[in-house]
Amino acid sequence: MPGRYCSQKACRLGHDVGREPFFDTLRVTPRNRSAEKVMASAKERRVNLRRFEDGAIGISLDEVTTAGDIQTLLEIFAGGPPPFSLEELAGGVQAGFPAAFARTGKYLTHEVFNRYHSEHEILRYIHRLQSRDLSLVHSMIPLGSCTMKLNATAEMYPITWKGFCRIHPFAPPEQTRGYEELFKQLEGWLAEITGFSAVSLQPNAGSQGEYAGLMVIRAYHHHRKESRRDICLIPVSAHGTNPASAVIAGLKVVPVACDEHGNIDITDLAAKADEHRDRLAALMITYPSTHGVFEEGIRQICRVIHERGGQVYMDGANMNAQVGLCRPGDIGADVCHLNLHKTFCIPHGGGGPGMGPIGVAAHLAPFLPGHPVTHLGGKDAIGPVSAAPHGSAGILPIPWIFIALMGGDGLTKATKVAILNANYMAKRLEKYFPVLFTGKNGRVAHEFILDARHFKDSAGIEANDIAKRLMDYGFHAPTMSWPVPGTLMVEPTESESKAEMDRFCEALIAIRGEIDEIVEGRMPRDNNVLKNAPHTAVSVTATDWTHPYTREQAAYPAPWLRDSKFWPAVERIDNAYGDRNLMCTCPAPESYA
Amino acid sequence: MKATKTGPLPEPTDTFVQRHIGPADADIKEMLATIGLQSLDALIDAAVPADIRMQRPLALGRHRAEHEAMAELRGITERNEIFRSFIGMGYYDCVTPPVIQRNILENPGWYTQYTPYQAEIAQGRLEALLTFQTMVADLTGLPLANASLLDEATAAAEAMSMCLAISRAGGGPEKRGFFVARDCHPQTIAVLQTRAEPLGIGLHIGAIEQIDYAGQALCGVLVQYPSSDGAVRDYGPLVERAHAAGALVVAATDLLALTLLRPPGDVGADIAVGSSQRFGVPLGFGGPHAAFMSTKDEYKRQMPGRLVGVSRDASGKAAYRLALQTREQHIRRDKATSNICTAQVLLAVMASMYAVYHGPDGLRRIAERVHAWAVLLAEGLPPRP
Repeated sequence: MPGRYCSQKACRLGHDVGREPFFDTLRVTPRNRSAEKVMASAKERRVNLRRFEDGAIGISLDEVTTAGDIQTLLEIFAGGPPPFSLEELAGGVQAGFPAAFARTGKYLTHEVFNRYHSEHEILRYIHRLQSRDLSLVHSMIPLGSCTMKLNATAEMYPITWKGFCRIHPFAPPEQTRGYEELFKQLEGWLAEITGFSAVSLQPNAGSQGEYAGLMVIRAYHHHRKESRRDICLIPVSAHGTNPASAVIAGLKVVPVACDEHGNIDITDLAAKADEHRDRLAALMITYPSTHGVFEEGIRQICRVIHERGGQVYMDGANMNAQVGLCRPGDIGADVCHLNLHKTFCIPHGGGGPGMGPIGVAAHLAPFLPGHPVTHLGGKDAIGPVSAAPHGSAGILPIPWIFIALMGGDGLTKATKVAILNANYMAKRLEKYFPVLFTGKNGRVAHEFILDARHFKDSAGIEANDIAKRLMDYGFHAPTMSWPVPGTLMVEPTESESKAEMDRFCEALIAIRGEIDEIVEGRMPRDNNVLKNAPHTAVSVTATDWTHPYTREQAAYPAPWLRDSKFWPAVERIDNAYGDRNLMCTCPAPESYA
Repeated sequence: MKATKTGPLPEPTDTFVQRHIGPADADIKEMLATIGLQSLDALIDAAVPADIRMQRPLALGRHRAEHEAMAELRGITERNEIFRSFIGMGYYDCVTPPVIQRNILENPGWYTQYTPYQAEIAQGRLEALLTFQTMVADLTGLPLANASLLDEATAAAEAMSMCLAISRAGGGPEKRGFFVARDCHPQTIAVLQTRAEPLGIGLHIGAIEQIDYAGQALCGVLVQYPSSDGAVRDYGPLVERAHAAGALVVAATDLLALTLLRPPGDVGADIAVGSSQRFGVPLGFGGPHAAFMSTKDEYKRQMPGRLVGVSRDASGKAAYRLALQTREQHIRRDKATSNICTAQVLLAVMASMYAVYHGPDGLRRIAERVHAWAVLLAEGLPPRP
């Protein structure tokens, strides 16, 4: 039963808190003191309250609430110490909810929620789970397009400083001058790097950046009374998120062909742009291309779009190959999103958080997303795309530190070395796996695609088998089957040392040797080190060993593994089985037997 | 003193560039030789078309010493003033258990991985995410939860798109209306407005008593439970009327409140969304935090975002991996109803471990204490009738 219904005491402060049951939040209509006075006292006591439009005041309590907080709140509303103590108040109330609202059944009954309550237990559980994940603390993760560069400890340090992490997103601006300065500097730096005139930090993922950028373009067309422009050209080589974002932004997708080198087919582009001339809203293009090449025709591509009234959206997934060498804004893009979690060192977190701010040319700046709660943005601003005005502000110190520590000179060198690393690895590997696309001088950009399609016929081996076998060597696979099915896309980033890249190349070269054994008939096509990969400690120590290769070949195929070996926790997973028998909550403990 | 001669000042020694960049200068030379070039610049000239090259260096200043940059950032952070915030609106201060802060949030063994596409070497975080899903499913009373979304407002927008997709899949006359209770968080309402317009969804914002089921052609209704201003309402009758009119009900909700309150699934809601921030994740001026979504089993194919599921490995042992990937945008492209890819895994792992650390009884105690303070405060403030 909610407390205030059962109170017998009569004193109290005389404000109206409404009639409905509540959990942690009160809406208070001040009666004996004006709302302005209450808010002024709150400010004096360094307390933030919520102000409703009708003058009511909101108070939400939380896990860190103390008796001192409640006393302070009562004093703020009373204009001084209230004529009763908290203990007296406590004597008159009883917390809880009427039966219609109260939860009765049990929850979180699974063992995992009931086993790790001492700190030793949870500490070991966390580390046990961690030991099953291969991360950058083990070896390079050469995922093409994902840019797994160093997440330096110095960059991560500030995110748990209390001046950054204990600020409410709707705290008044006079309390967030530090953040304001951080944003201003970071926006300025990102504008310089991209060649744009304004930046919005609001989109809290790359996909959100795409959406925000397209919405800004849409708002621009609408503003110019050209709301008929609703066609978005997207090359077939684009990441799938591009067309998904376009559709959600209310645009219709028209695919553009690519030539045999993986470049946009400019003839087809011009034809499509002409065909939809009156309705052309935008082109989405990734640069360097998703095939890892700096397309020569990029300026011409931008011109084709602009001449027909369209805007160019550049997907910044590969921005790390441009920093300091060229700028989207100079090339002809009107908008570009930046994956701060790729190019600017925010870690991927195992699948988030990301940050996808957008940079825009001057004519699009008025349309950058606003926010109603903090009155961000001007009259032409599009509505918010994220809940918080500055997205995931708490992790913005990471790119700030990265850029500050690198400077213009360091960032530019990083880009050059990223390109060198990719070209070096491509060179070392091309004799073993053909490199699919290169620029006109035979060079790749910051990533490259290795062709593995021909092994399917010659050895029954697919890219996926190579990916799984790499685990036995202690490596995470490159990006699989994207943008070309049956291939591996490698991106070393500038942060990998020559020694680490050599080790990875040697693993792939050794795997090529293992494939040759199958091709030459010395190993069966269905029972070999690749098909059975990855090998777990349990499988290689099993009493029965039925494979035509040794246990050593299975688990220790390279010399460095003697020094340090990462053991996959499970053998190859059957994906289809899980989709046929969908189970998305923790299974009963017996199933692990 | 009269200066007659100037000289260079000592350079800082704790510079970062050479630590961020893997190859040392000697390695770079060797690597260039391997690819048959003399210099880095020759490589860049060969790889990057001349007509797009920047003709000047970036105007960002030179690289800085680490201790200097850190000190500057300290100065910036100190200009933020930490008030005690009781603003709420989906963001609540909380305790990050130190064991979680140091061993997950501040631990590269947890924060440096990519999305778990190679599941055999990602079983740790897949288990933690499955635990997150289990926690959300249990607390919301809806059986199928995903592995996190970006924030509560976009999660509500995803739910809106889902309602439209489900309504379309069901056939019948097209329903392009979506009702939002006006006591939802204002930022949620604003994001819904942004997202509804290009999709051609007619958004109706008002008191739930004003819903016109017949006239508004609703595919769904969004309510906040408890409401943004704190009220706990019985949405049972609303669910009944909405379902009778062929509309789904989405509840934006609060996991901590749900340890004490009847879960939305129990009340009949079809989809629950919300933020797990108060489960041990710092406010961070708005994020990152893990939003969640759960729904009924029948809507699994319309569920956006990543979903962790249990399968088995070659030896028959239970193993985790991403499930139903064909739902996702990278496969469906322009047929997709959501563009989400990266979500908030690290924060979902933190929230999940917060629940593991406290367990059901611990979470309930935290909720009871928060509620008890609210009751006490309410007792102190109101007039007597």
